[in-house]
Amino acid sequence: MKKAVENLLETACRVLSGLQDDPKAFELARVRFLGRKGELAQLFKELGKVSEQERREAGRLLNEAKSRLETLFSEALDKRRELDAARRESIDVSVPGRRPPAGRLHPITQTATEICRIFNWLGFETVEGPEIELDYYNFEALNIPKDHPARDMQDTFYISEDVVLRTHTSPIQVRTMEKRKPPVRVIAPGRTYRRDSDVTHTPMFHQVEGLMVGKGISFGDLKGILTTFVHQMFGPSVGLRFRPSFFPFTEPSAEVDIECVMCRGKGCRVCKGTGWLEILGSGMVDPEVYKYVGYDPEEITGFAFGMGIERIAMLKFGIDDLRLFFENDLRFLKQF
Amino acid sequence: MLISLNWLSDYVDCPLSPERIAEGLTMGGLEVESISLRHPQLKNVVTARIEAVEPHPNADRLKICVVSAGGLELRRIVCGAPNARAGAVAPLALPGAELSGGIVREAKVRGELSKGMLCSQKELGLSEDHSGIWILPEDTPAGIPLDEALGIKDVLMDVGITPNRGDCLSLIGIAREVAALYKTLARYPASTVEETGPPVDSLTSVTIDDPKGCPRYAARVIRGVKIGPSPDWLKNRVEAVGVRSINNIVDVTNFVMMELGQPLHAFDFNRLRERRIVVRKAEAGERFTTLDSVERELGEGTVLICDGVGSVAIGGVMGGLNSEIGPDTCDVLIESAYFDPVSIRRTSRRLGLKTEASYRFERGTDPGGVLRALDRAAALMLEVAGGEIASGKIDVCPNPLKVSEVDLRVDRVNRFLGISLSGDEMKEILERIEMRVEKCEPDRLRVTVPGFRSDITREVDLAEELARLSGYDGIPVTSPLAAVHAADSDPHQTVRAELKNLLVGAGFFEVINYSFISSGALRMLRYSEGDPAVPAPIRVRNPLSDEQAVMRTSLLPGLLNNARYNIDHRNENFKIFELSKVFLPRKEGLQAEEVHHLAGIMAGKRVELALYSDGDVDYAETKGVVEHICAFLRIDDLRFRADSLPPWLDPSASASVYVKGERVGELGRVHSEVQEAFDLKRTVFAFRLDFDSLFALRGPVPVYRGLPKFPPVPRDLALIADESLPVEQPLDFIRSLKEPLLESIEIFDIFKSEQIGEGKKSIGYRLTYRASDRSLTDEEVNTVHSQLIGKVTARFAVSLR
Repeated sequence: MKKAVENLLETACRVLSGLQDDPKAFELARVRFLGRKGELAQLFKELGKVSEQERREAGRLLNEAKSRLETLFSEALDKRRELDAARRESIDVSVPGRRPPAGRLHPITQTATEICRIFNWLGFETVEGPEIELDYYNFEALNIPKDHPARDMQDTFYISEDVVLRTHTSPIQVRTMEKRKPPVRVIAPGRTYRRDSDVTHTPMFHQVEGLMVGKGISFGDLKGILTTFVHQMFGPSVGLRFRPSFFPFTEPSAEVDIECVMCRGKGCRVCKGTGWLEILGSGMVDPEVYKYVGYDPEEITGFAFGMGIERIAMLKFGIDDLRLFFENDLRFLKQF
Repeated sequence: MLISLNWLSDYVDCPLSPERIAEGLTMGGLEVESISLRHPQLKNVVTARIEAVEPHPNADRLKICVVSAGGLELRRIVCGAPNARAGAVAPLALPGAELSGGIVREAKVRGELSKGMLCSQKELGLSEDHSGIWILPEDTPAGIPLDEALGIKDVLMDVGITPNRGDCLSLIGIAREVAALYKTLARYPASTVEETGPPVDSLTSVTIDDPKGCPRYAARVIRGVKIGPSPDWLKNRVEAVGVRSINNIVDVTNFVMMELGQPLHAFDFNRLRERRIVVRKAEAGERFTTLDSVERELGEGTVLICDGVGSVAIGGVMGGLNSEIGPDTCDVLIESAYFDPVSIRRTSRRLGLKTEASYRFERGTDPGGVLRALDRAAALMLEVAGGEIASGKIDVCPNPLKVSEVDLRVDRVNRFLGISLSGDEMKEILERIEMRVEKCEPDRLRVTVPGFRSDITREVDLAEELARLSGYDGIPVTSPLAAVHAADSDPHQTVRAELKNLLVGAGFFEVINYSFISSGALRMLRYSEGDPAVPAPIRVRNPLSDEQAVMRTSLLPGLLNNARYNIDHRNENFKIFELSKVFLPRKEGLQAEEVHHLAGIMAGKRVELALYSDGDVDYAETKGVVEHICAFLRIDDLRFRADSLPPWLDPSASASVYVKGERVGELGRVHSEVQEAFDLKRTVFAFRLDFDSLFALRGPVPVYRGLPKFPPVPRDLALIADESLPVEQPLDFIRSLKEPLLESIEIFDIFKSEQIGEGKKSIGYRLTYRASDRSLTDEEVNTVHSQLIGKVTARFAVSLR
């Protein structure tokens, strides 16, 4: 018996060391020695034939052999796995990946989305309006009568005497108030047009308009909402200031300047040395406008604001040439 | 508007630096756009005394001047001027000075070091005199900045004046603002008019026939003036703010306009026929030659200033050539009037003629300030041109001037602004800008607005004044109180955003193009003029160029231009799209129908990385994008047919897109002629979809169906068919049989080979069978499958492979 066990172990060792990388052969070998009908099992069967005195010793030998075999095979298995792993790692990891296709949204879309999202969080609903607009909505109802010098502030494309390409998104204010009872809280992104084309102007550009009207809304609230916006958009540490200005449809009116994002207010080329960048116009809705939409200016107050999306996008991404937005050069679009 | 700080200091004491003043004005609502030196070239130019003149060792015509320019140090300056002599004081440009001829540097001139340059007036840009260096008066101290020594040191500020602040289009207007901001008072110029001539009424008269266009007209006559150049102080003042000096009389009118904001006009009194003034409306088609020698056709209603016979000026806009002040003028009639802003603006716009006068009148001048300006001008003319002023003045003002009174409710204004000023504090602030304020009730102020502030008519206007003068910065930042309200979201916007993201995820870059296209763009897309399929685009009346002449009815021209631009810039593999509006003319109503289209262009390799490249984009790739979009929108019943194609597509590789029988777009290879017209150096594929239709046809929110519990059984079917048989037809046919056990069917391969035969193709279909209540047996499936095969082979001219 002892001899048989030693033979078995020796054979198993030889077989194992002679095995190639073939997992099938390994499995066959395992079955041959350790399987239910394998060589070791055969020896266990023969235990019955051994004399009673020797049986105990033989049993011990067989059990030892079993655990020895199991160790041998599990070690061999481990070794094989290591080899496998090593073989797998041997691929050239520097080969470029096969990427799924991915494009980008235009930086203006990205910026407009971000602006609107901030105001959506604040309860402003996104609304839209026509781009080919009536003179009435673009000017008249915004307290910009014909023959008023304020019309000089915007050079207008005309479709006909009474129809223009909207020069700002502000007509949406009037259209929204006409349709809804106060309180109103809306944000309105869109394309706008002015008859101007040079390094800093394109005949088409984008604006976002905002409007909040209701009972008891104050100039302090205007400052509150726009301060929140600036801090969300440009970071909580960016300084801002409100500066008196003039828009025919707001009174009082304010320009909002932020601390120059390029030089942090020290003064540079972008802010023309002032340390400040004008980013939006705003003001308390002028009572004249309420008259056009049938609101009672004694009861309802509120504010409106508007900003150029290109301007914000240029600051956000550090773009120095407005015209890039409309060239649609892939090398540009891929950067955002 | 350009402001000289020297000049400004005549009207207000403000000991602050220009930067601080600018900051104050900007934060008060008058944006200072720039601050500059009046003579920037005189920076680093000082006065220097020539102590000694030595010959230049290497040049006969040059000298070495030893000069002192302050301090103990003497400088040696090489100089070629004939008039350089010891003892003279002259301007010295120090190294670093930026003269018009270039930057002065310390340099060797013929071997001798020169530490600066002695200058002529021309070299300093002050006159054309280049006869020698500029010899200054002997008593000029050496070593001080030249502009100081000459008394011409000045700082200019360019102030942006918003259209509502016509009152600030003058030095006194700015001075009032500065005074209000720094709590002091502006000083108005005093003028005492020495009237020594005969009564003005005996010399002339003024009649107003158009009291609406010209509510007030005042005049004085000054006789015996001597026309000549203005004295230096006057010339210096007007030139400082950018007005060309003409002669003493005209300069005075400009000076007073700049000073007080009241435009004036001086007529040659003797050239006024009948020596009188009539103000009337022009008749339609009336013509008039203005000062600039241009004959203009006037619109009906233009305010005309006439003499006893005919017109002599366009009121408030420009004087006429026929009554202009000339070198021989000796008697002058000074006009100081108030014109209706709307009328002036109409005239100025109609004539395309914008003058300093019209600019001010259309923004509203002060009808109450007419006489002050008239007297000021008369006194100054007497001072600079001599003569005698007729006694008295003419002041025709048919209707009394309105005094504007506005009530202010203290509490309401406080709540509106979010501040808490007392009535007394408000009163104090408003009085700083020359308002008269009475407290009529505890909570109510009655404010009398000065005539120059025609923009203030309502309580809210006073609120603005209070806000800006107390400082916007001081208004506390608050959060509005508002009811919680769920903002509706517009599904159209949402779906647009989702689709854009879908395309980005499919490798597309979003582009944004102008809404205008060239008037020839549709022809470039091979549409013929008057093609009923395409409406004539809406024209822009005043386009910037023919390239931007009409509103787009298609996104394609923009995208094809983007394609050309990118191919030309070696960005040859790309997928771009635009989801945006096109503008279709409406039969009724004034505006356009604005509808959203979605279009894209694909070019070059399917996969950018050459390593994994598997060919160029093609019809299938383009169609796949459309299928992808429709699948995303849960649109079923999507069909592609090679009919009704637009002319810009190549009919051999294009299809129209139908959803539920409705044509919603097209896709395919761009026609070679279009490719040529847009100068594309590569073949491109395109798709275009009516977004609004897709949006309307999109599927509903899906309802969950239970997952199958039993296994699928696949069976293949390989047919050999004529090449012309659309692969979709057998597929549709099998589907139409509605075999309950057939779960799905797809095409898994299409190929041609010699074995199959000329003009034939093999189509492989994979059919998947499944029952919802049991595992199917092979026999069951085989029966159904062979029945289907039988029907297909009976229906189509096909054989089994």
